[in-house]
Amino acid sequence: MKRKLSGILTLLLVLVVQIAFAQDNLITGTVTNGEGMPLPGVNVLVKNTSRGTQSDFDGNYSIRASEGEVLVFSYLGFKTAEYVIDESTTRVDLTLEEDAAQLEEVIVVAYGTQSKRSIVGSVVSLGEEVLEEQQLTSVTSALQGNVPGVNMLTSGGQPGENPTIRIRGIGSINASAEPLIIVDGAPFNGNINSISADQIESMNVLKDASSTALYGSRGSNGVIVITTKKGAFNSEPVLTVTAVGGISTPAVELHDVLGTNQYMGYAWEASRNAYVAAGNDPATAGQLASNNLISQLGYNPYDVAQPVDASGNLVPGANLLWETDWEDEILRSAALRQEYTVGLNGGGEKTRYFLSANYLEQEGSVKESNFERVTTRLNLESDVRDWLKVGLNTAYSTSSQNYPSQSGSSYQSSIQWIYSVASLYPLYRRDEQGALILDGFGNPIYDYGQNEGLVNASRPVFNNENAVGSLYKYKTLNKRHNINANGFAELTFTDYLSFKSNLSYEQYIFDSYVYADTEVGYASNVGGRITQNRDITTTINFINSLNFNKTFGNHSINADAIVEAYEVEFDEFDAAGEGFLPNVFSLSGRTTPTEAAGAINMERLVGYLGRVGYNYADKYFIEGSYRRDGSSRFSSDTRWGDFYSVGGSWVISDENFLNDSPVLSYLKLKGSYGELGNNNILDADGNVLYFPYIQAFETGWNQGENTGVLLGGVVDPLLTWETTAMLNVGLDFTLWNNRVEGSAEYYNKESVDLIYSQPLAPSTGNTDITTNVGSIRNYGLEFMLRTRNIITDDFSWSTSVNFSMDNNEITELTQESFISGTKRWEEGRSLYEFWIQEYAGVDPATGMALWYMDVENAEGEPTGERVLTDDYSEADRYYVGESLPDIIGGFSTDFKYKNFDLNALFNFSFGAQLYDYDYAGLMTGFATLGYQQSPDLAARWQQPGDITEVPKLLNANQNFASTSTRFLFDNDYVRLKAITLGYNLPQNTVESLDLSSFRLYLRGDNLYTWQTHEGVDPEQSISGTTNSRSYILKTVSLGLNVKF
Amino acid sequence: MRKNLFKSFFLLGILFSIVGCSEEYLEEPKPAGQVSEEVVFNSRAGVEAYISGIHRAARDQFTTGHDAGGINSMYYARAVKGNDIIQGPTWFRFDYEQANREPTYRRTNFSWEFPYFMINQANTLINGIEASETLSDEEKAELMGQGLALRAFYYFQLAMEFQHTYTYDATLPAPPIYLELSLEGKPMSTLQEMYDLIISDLTTAVDGLNDSRLNKSYINKAVAQGILARVYQVTENWEGAEEMANAAYGGDVSAVLDASTYDDGFNEMSNPEWLWAMPQYADQTMYYFSAPHAQADFEHPSYQGTYINSNFVDEFSDTDVRKLFLAYNPDVSWQNYITTKFNFVDFGVDFAIMRYAEMILIEAEALYWQGQVDAAHDLLYKLQLNRDPQAVKSGATGQVVLEEILVERRKELYGEIGVEWFDAKRLRRGIFRDANHRVVVDLAADDKRFFLKVPQDEIDANDAIDDSVNANR
Repeated sequence: MKRKLSGILTLLLVLVVQIAFAQDNLITGTVTNGEGMPLPGVNVLVKNTSRGTQSDFDGNYSIRASEGEVLVFSYLGFKTAEYVIDESTTRVDLTLEEDAAQLEEVIVVAYGTQSKRSIVGSVVSLGEEVLEEQQLTSVTSALQGNVPGVNMLTSGGQPGENPTIRIRGIGSINASAEPLIIVDGAPFNGNINSISADQIESMNVLKDASSTALYGSRGSNGVIVITTKKGAFNSEPVLTVTAVGGISTPAVELHDVLGTNQYMGYAWEASRNAYVAAGNDPATAGQLASNNLISQLGYNPYDVAQPVDASGNLVPGANLLWETDWEDEILRSAALRQEYTVGLNGGGEKTRYFLSANYLEQEGSVKESNFERVTTRLNLESDVRDWLKVGLNTAYSTSSQNYPSQSGSSYQSSIQWIYSVASLYPLYRRDEQGALILDGFGNPIYDYGQNEGLVNASRPVFNNENAVGSLYKYKTLNKRHNINANGFAELTFTDYLSFKSNLSYEQYIFDSYVYADTEVGYASNVGGRITQNRDITTTINFINSLNFNKTFGNHSINADAIVEAYEVEFDEFDAAGEGFLPNVFSLSGRTTPTEAAGAINMERLVGYLGRVGYNYADKYFIEGSYRRDGSSRFSSDTRWGDFYSVGGSWVISDENFLNDSPVLSYLKLKGSYGELGNNNILDADGNVLYFPYIQAFETGWNQGENTGVLLGGVVDPLLTWETTAMLNVGLDFTLWNNRVEGSAEYYNKESVDLIYSQPLAPSTGNTDITTNVGSIRNYGLEFMLRTRNIITDDFSWSTSVNFSMDNNEITELTQESFISGTKRWEEGRSLYEFWIQEYAGVDPATGMALWYMDVENAEGEPTGERVLTDDYSEADRYYVGESLPDIIGGFSTDFKYKNFDLNALFNFSFGAQLYDYDYAGLMTGFATLGYQQSPDLAARWQQPGDITEVPKLLNANQNFASTSTRFLFDNDYVRLKAITLGYNLPQNTVESLDLSSFRLYLRGDNLYTWQTHEGVDPEQSISGTTNSRSYILKTVSLGLNVKF
Repeated sequence: MRKNLFKSFFLLGILFSIVGCSEEYLEEPKPAGQVSEEVVFNSRAGVEAYISGIHRAARDQFTTGHDAGGINSMYYARAVKGNDIIQGPTWFRFDYEQANREPTYRRTNFSWEFPYFMINQANTLINGIEASETLSDEEKAELMGQGLALRAFYYFQLAMEFQHTYTYDATLPAPPIYLELSLEGKPMSTLQEMYDLIISDLTTAVDGLNDSRLNKSYINKAVAQGILARVYQVTENWEGAEEMANAAYGGDVSAVLDASTYDDGFNEMSNPEWLWAMPQYADQTMYYFSAPHAQADFEHPSYQGTYINSNFVDEFSDTDVRKLFLAYNPDVSWQNYITTKFNFVDFGVDFAIMRYAEMILIEAEALYWQGQVDAAHDLLYKLQLNRDPQAVKSGATGQVVLEEILVERRKELYGEIGVEWFDAKRLRRGIFRDANHRVVVDLAADDKRFFLKVPQDEIDANDAIDDSVNANR
């Protein structure tokens, strides 16, 4: 871990650690850098003892040592120096040599730490300075645009939801493809939004086999290792106070929708065309459409009874009585965000501490949606004896989230409503003449479209619902509590042998509360409904490790032997009741209990691990790890899996032939190979399957009072580990004395025994079976380049760019192909290639949509020739694009001028396709009257000879908007993810105020998005489909950070 | 140093003590909420629990669409295909338009997957009972009868939904037949094979079953006879149909009819006229999947989708207890009337799957086809008189009696089991709509739109069925 913090803090203090021995000499001295400047905070240790000290502000130190002992001077960014004490030594002045690339940086890896130089795998570390550059409601968002090979999607504008993360492609289908998250050494099963960014010291992404192999069965999707902050030994307390406030709006604009006048004209046309299709002559059809339009729509927003005439024109004198802008009613014009943090850290000689509390409140894009969170953390670490170190990290966080439905297809789903319900339907109830109906207090009443009457009463679209009303009449509250205690004891037997025991306990409580109104909406006929769920996830993880680390001359060996036991208990309890009095919001008020259910499931895992590393002269590194895991998710015959990795690296720049290169400062070649596992098997809805190998009769299928059971889906009793083989080759380099730093890596991950729900013929009574079938390969290239373009005393400018090109390929299937929604899986193809009907525009003669179909030979095989058809069911499906991008990455730039700084981070994605169901719904051409439509229908076919891509309007069960390439769009985008302009008060002013720093900044998140397909946020889903999701927010905020 | 060594051995001891007991540690977690096969098939109570579960699954929200849940939604989809009911622009509208039959549509998938799901459960039940070593032969025959009747009932639905009617051409391909759990898809069968199985299963079931049952939602002898009577209507085994229908209602018309219950809302299975029912409870409900109630009731929150053709309303005499219609919107021809037959008072509404009145009418029709026209007419009049105390026996003779029976079936069963569609399909008559319909589409006799295409999902995953199955469908 970085010692930069402790280095700075040492400015403020002078310290001496002495363990006196009678015969020792008192050695004093000054440590300087190459330019003669004193170096404060240098660690001075007597080798093979625990005696040590740090240099003071002026670089001075004093320590006792006896003849023959060796003083070791170490400091981050400098090469470690040693000095042998002889009989007469009393003063050692030393100049530390700069270590060009700061390669001695220590990085937290699997079950321990390693110097950056010795890492043979692929690890990217984000420090707190990166986390501080963004507004992070969910900390893992910081990986986007900063770590090559990480594909991240933030879907929707509900704050407090976590992004989807895929590291180096998608390696699993029916097992989770989410990376493992480790917090302070223990697997984290809570909601990651319970950790606030201010608590985090570093977030490291482990991508290849050698870095993740020790997580064995859980490492195949990559690992994110989060390390929380600690204080520094021998430092004065520092109190940090941060306050940030901001305003948010949707980051991109929504699709346009029709206004009422235009809607009525188009609706008439669609109806007329349907009557013509049914055999009426155009004039009769026009008259019928005119006559029936209002009864078909159910509502008449005009002051005349038949507002559209037989030619489709609005009759003269017809005036609109209302027109509802649903977007305006449902979405916020400005959502507020505020965040406050108080932190305290410091340490004495033997003990260090970090304490923090954070409060966040953020409103979402949908009215009433919000997220409120309090996090607290106390980390303590103490050197009790020279052979015993203990520590305890504790954290508690609680959050509450008001989460109105804002994706998917429930009636009240916000965005779906905006895109579905035409503006002619009123927000408030209207009588048959169109006048507002008021309640007894003179207030308007939300119109649920389920009233008595011939007109303005019954809405054909989402009747018995009102999405605006639902924001206030329903409640969807999520509460989360996370309690975490993670303690360790480390015993040092000798300078090369130590033992560490780490026990972590985590309890995550998810509590949801859903209230449906007693008088309106979907539960009004039963007097309202309250549904409560309480899920308690308890994780216990126990790790014991024996660590050996010794250097013999040029040979260094380190070895770890580890045993891990892991247990998760998932305790769920649900209850629901119906029949409430108005304004009774507690379940106890129910008349009829309708649900009481619960189950306790448990899973366990045991792992035996070992790691051996060897290096020669810090130049040649080789490392191997092995892990044997047993999991309760598999039968006793198949539960044990063996996982391993080997890796090596060569610091080429330390070879003589490169030693004096003026250009190349550092060059390392590294490579690794290994096999890892995955046991996180999910069902079709993404729920965890604890016993996927057992087919049994499920309880709960009661018929009235009679107990009932039903046979569960068919299973494979010999289901076993999904194994992924990973290869990684990379080159790290720095040029021109650190001005340029970069890396390039190639990876190839191939899963074996993929866990997959193999489709079965539905006629068998089962639609799928989860089994080990087939293989997927992910491979790609990753690049990272950081340049320090200008470095002067007053001005500095650096830039950084990273990107990855990731590819996905199915390498083995047990049958020729599977169809999975809009995709078809076939060997040699990606999992995410769209396989859908290909739209061929509009038949100029008839206005009907056309698609392609194959011409078949006598044997029924396609000849390769294609013809057009207007019968959708005859259209053939083709591979037409992919939802995975060709290239993703980020670009950042930092400027510093005197006390000002400006940094910006962009992320980008190119080459992906998006299927926009939201837009398709707006382009059905009035298949069903009453549904909202797009102004783009202006380009519709109207008469024979019209050449257009938009079919005629037709109020019938037609397929114009059925799945086809008509709604498949390129989804390239570049987003300005974060931009910050900061100002630090000058040091002398700060000091005169008795502060240690004072910073003010203006920040914008997601301020600008360039995209090839507008109307939806480009971040939708891995599979590249929309789902009426709410929109990501852009935020402008002002922040203040003061350190005392 | 020695102390350190001691400490390290001590800790190594702890470290490896975990190794020894790890297998036990991993065995400890057990599935929650599941029961093994032994528990189910080793006792009558276990088998009955399984049968209960299967009946419960018959009213599951099988898909995400509110028009595709239990067997009631299959029946209602048939009901809206006729002339008597006009479906508004809500759920079931595409069924109403006779257009909901393409290989990727929800209706097509549901009408295929749901019966097969139930058949797989019934097969497991039948084979489990057969293999049980603890059940007596008598218990086996009776429990097995319930399983066989269930299996036959769902194969019957498949045969009706995925091919022309039996009498059109029994050699035509019908959906595949499974008698046990299989992971491999089987090829299409023929209508003949399928009806042979259905009749054989039901015949065995009738022999093994007796009158007792847990409640009206379970299958006893009379229910099996009733299903078989319907099957014989399709295969035109009129002797069998007469025998089974008569046995199902017991032969005494006045004993099984109670006209005063007709307007009770069709939501309580305790109704004495009901033979087989699908009950719901506040905590066991399909919610808004509850067609027809969730479509037809205009008083309680519902989809308000069901309108009644005014010409159909006119066929009822004013004193008929079944004339449960309200004038709704005189200005729009398809919205003239609604019905109060189905009361969606809460989510606990029950569904009638089979009623005695239908059995009486099957018997009358079977008598007619066997040339006993007068006997048929007499039986018909018994029912008519029960429904309308002022009913006068018509002077019909010959084929007019048949037409009168068919009209009576529509008047008795509208909205329940898709009677118009069922009769038009099996008698190969076509469906012709009046001009006051919202969508006027006519089906000629033996129109392909009387059945569905085979789902694409089946074609994709079943090696024994390819795209050609939908050629000319």
